[in-house]
Amino acid sequence: MRFLARRLGFYLLTAWAAITLNFLVPRLMPGDPVELLVARMRGNVDPAAIDAMRRAFGISDASLWQQYLDYLGNLAQGELGRSITFFPAEVSTVIADSLPWTVGLVGVATLISYLMGTSLGVLMAWKRGTWLDGVLPAATFMHAVPYFWVALALVFVFGVTLQWFPVSRAYGLDVMPGLTGEFAGSVVYHAALPAVTIVVASMADRILGMRNVMVTTLGEDYVVMAEAKGLTSRRVMWAYAARNAILPNITSFALSLGFVVGGSVLTEIVFSYPGIGSMLLKAVENEDFPLMQGIFLVISLAVLVANFLADLAYVVLDPRTRQEAE
Amino acid sequence: MKRIVAVLAALAVAGCSSGGGSAGRTGTSAPPLVIHAVDAGTFQEDFNPYHLEGVNFGTSGMIYETLMYFNKLKPGEITPWLALKYEWSDKGKSVTFTLRQGVKWTDGQPFTADDVAFTFRMLKDHAQLNASALEIKDAQALAPDKVRIDFKSTSYAKLFNIAGGSPIVPKHLWEKQQDPATFTNAKPVGTGPYKLAKFSAQLYEMEKNPSYWQPGKPEVPLLRFPAYTANALQTALQQGEVDWAGAFVPDIQKIFVQGKPEQNKFFFPPEGLVTLLPNLTNPILSKPEVRQAISLAIDRDKIVKVAERGYTKVAHPTGVAMPGGEAYVPPEYKDAAFKVDVERAKELLKGVNPAELKFTLLVPSPFTDWVNAAQLIREDLAKVGITVETRGVAFQDWVSKVGKGDYDLSIRGAEAGPTPYFQLRFLLFGGLAKPVGEAASGNYERWKDAETDRLIDAYAATDDLAEQQKATQGLGKIMMAKLPVLPLFYSPGWAQYRTNKYVGWPSEQDPYAMPSPYASPDAAVVLLHLKPAVK
Repeated sequence: MRFLARRLGFYLLTAWAAITLNFLVPRLMPGDPVELLVARMRGNVDPAAIDAMRRAFGISDASLWQQYLDYLGNLAQGELGRSITFFPAEVSTVIADSLPWTVGLVGVATLISYLMGTSLGVLMAWKRGTWLDGVLPAATFMHAVPYFWVALALVFVFGVTLQWFPVSRAYGLDVMPGLTGEFAGSVVYHAALPAVTIVVASMADRILGMRNVMVTTLGEDYVVMAEAKGLTSRRVMWAYAARNAILPNITSFALSLGFVVGGSVLTEIVFSYPGIGSMLLKAVENEDFPLMQGIFLVISLAVLVANFLADLAYVVLDPRTRQEAE
Repeated sequence: MKRIVAVLAALAVAGCSSGGGSAGRTGTSAPPLVIHAVDAGTFQEDFNPYHLEGVNFGTSGMIYETLMYFNKLKPGEITPWLALKYEWSDKGKSVTFTLRQGVKWTDGQPFTADDVAFTFRMLKDHAQLNASALEIKDAQALAPDKVRIDFKSTSYAKLFNIAGGSPIVPKHLWEKQQDPATFTNAKPVGTGPYKLAKFSAQLYEMEKNPSYWQPGKPEVPLLRFPAYTANALQTALQQGEVDWAGAFVPDIQKIFVQGKPEQNKFFFPPEGLVTLLPNLTNPILSKPEVRQAISLAIDRDKIVKVAERGYTKVAHPTGVAMPGGEAYVPPEYKDAAFKVDVERAKELLKGVNPAELKFTLLVPSPFTDWVNAAQLIREDLAKVGITVETRGVAFQDWVSKVGKGDYDLSIRGAEAGPTPYFQLRFLLFGGLAKPVGEAASGNYERWKDAETDRLIDAYAATDDLAEQQKATQGLGKIMMAKLPVLPLFYSPGWAQYRTNKYVGWPSEQDPYAMPSPYASPDAAVVLLHLKPAVK
């Protein structure tokens, strides 16, 4: 398939560009990690030891070009280096420890937000002129409000004032991680507020997208025909209209899956959730180049893979793209 | 993930006996103490006391101990710990420690001079662990209780780093490690009052070492360290989850004290000095009368009250932390204090072209208290005709600019050290001044003065306490007369503690150790002083 090969080539090129930017961008930041460490320790480090620390962290004075080649070489071997913030932990370990939390939390929340948003969108287009129309402004409002603010409000009301939900961590202090019901329950309980934040803040997009396409679709002749045939309204709504209207929403879903890995940095920070967003913040604060690069790499690759999947989904779902391709 | 898998494997081996995590395993009725030392979302399994970052708090102090303990709140107060005494020889190039007998590692092996010699040889061989840059030539055990460490240069002034800042590690376990620099030491074996009981990414626990060398101590059987980020901790303090924390709390009366001052206490002793740095390579700021005028114009009381919420005190004009540092201050300046004098400041500025009195004041914008202080300084200086533009920049940018001397005025802190000398050396030593454009690691204002350097060398060349105090007093006189940097206020050490479970915490009346849980090994000293509260 020439189409697929072309897309694949395009994605490889993009991946290379992402990897290179990944290398360059952190190095454009002012300062260097050891200076920052010294500043954080308020000068409690002997100046003569600063060289020792540079050596320990593997910070080299080599030329940028040499560093770039080393970086590519290490990357080819799957070596991401050691984190400076969590020295001497390997970057791959830090990412492997935090990624499951983010994928779990943001992934599930994205799925819920997608299902709820799409269904609401379908209903709202179908039942125009009813009370359901009021949902849209409310959802858009929640979407317009900065989502960390929603998170803070939830923390204040349900965490601090009512104390119904925990406000930090991924699981309780009294449970040990393991495949136990107790642990799973604790994880779900702790994920509740952050997940609600993400769902509430991102649902408007889906509702709006679905509703608008649905409204157009409802005017199509085949929908009128289906109604004229006397089919049940549920069947017309889901099997005739929604099925055709959902196409753009599937693409946007595939795309948003890519951003799941990037996480909702602010949500994670507000809820002290130990995911990749919190790690990214730590890495930036400490000029931890290896960790930043590792995280950016994982995020950009995830976005690329999601894009590729979206492309594929389109080819499968929409015959028109297939025709054009062949 | 790896960790979860490991836990699962352990559970499978143990026949899935998930005990429910009961805390009272030691059998005593004394409750556990919940401690917050440093902000962390998650913990890494690292208990190597020579790692600067990433190491879990308590490794140094609770698990690994030093040869002696230096109380920074009473400069000159040194308590024998693993070593009973020390003796310098060869003009400060050699020090011999006599060690305490009968101390055991938590795996039952005896602690000997071999362990001490091994520790210092390890620092010599692995420069990246040697954070205090000790110039070690050799270290050898002379007898089971005697060890001699030789240095390449006179090291009197480094006694704190040698005896107070180098935790001793067990030779019989550490010598098997290929690279101690990357060794994470997941199962630490130390001589200290506690040993690691449990570790997970969100919580670790330390339990009492039953064979600790101080009989009957510690009386707190279990320490719990949950991971809190900065904002999660505020909620935890408010809800009473934490017994001992070291954190900045915006409104401490409301969030922490909650109307119970006899139970929810805090103590913020000086931990360092915050100064206004004038860039002395600026031709105007290099004039002493301009610095004098700036100092006279600044209302420090207001800065402490408004920007610092009254959590700290205005610094002594020599920069020495008071009370505590009296012996290090010239006698005639003991009661000196900053006073605002706008008229005199204007007088001093008469000879300077007013058009040239324009400076930018660089502050790191995440430090909101310093940003507020900078605004107050701007207002104060406007009254004497100095135009100041305050500029808040990102932390990284600020570190880089101040380090390279690319600023007019800035605010920066200096760590107190075991005696005031360390802070003054950091602020004033000519050897640390770098040309503008090169990152300095101290003396950011770039002060160069032969007399200052002579006094600093004089302190380092003697073991005599009186001589050392005299040299520091000389530095104090330079601070008073020439104002190379302008002291503002002390940077407070944060410590909040509750007395409902345990009593015996350090206080202003009895400052036997730094009260902050993140100060090591001080925190271990505090734990050894705690007694269960009588109900």
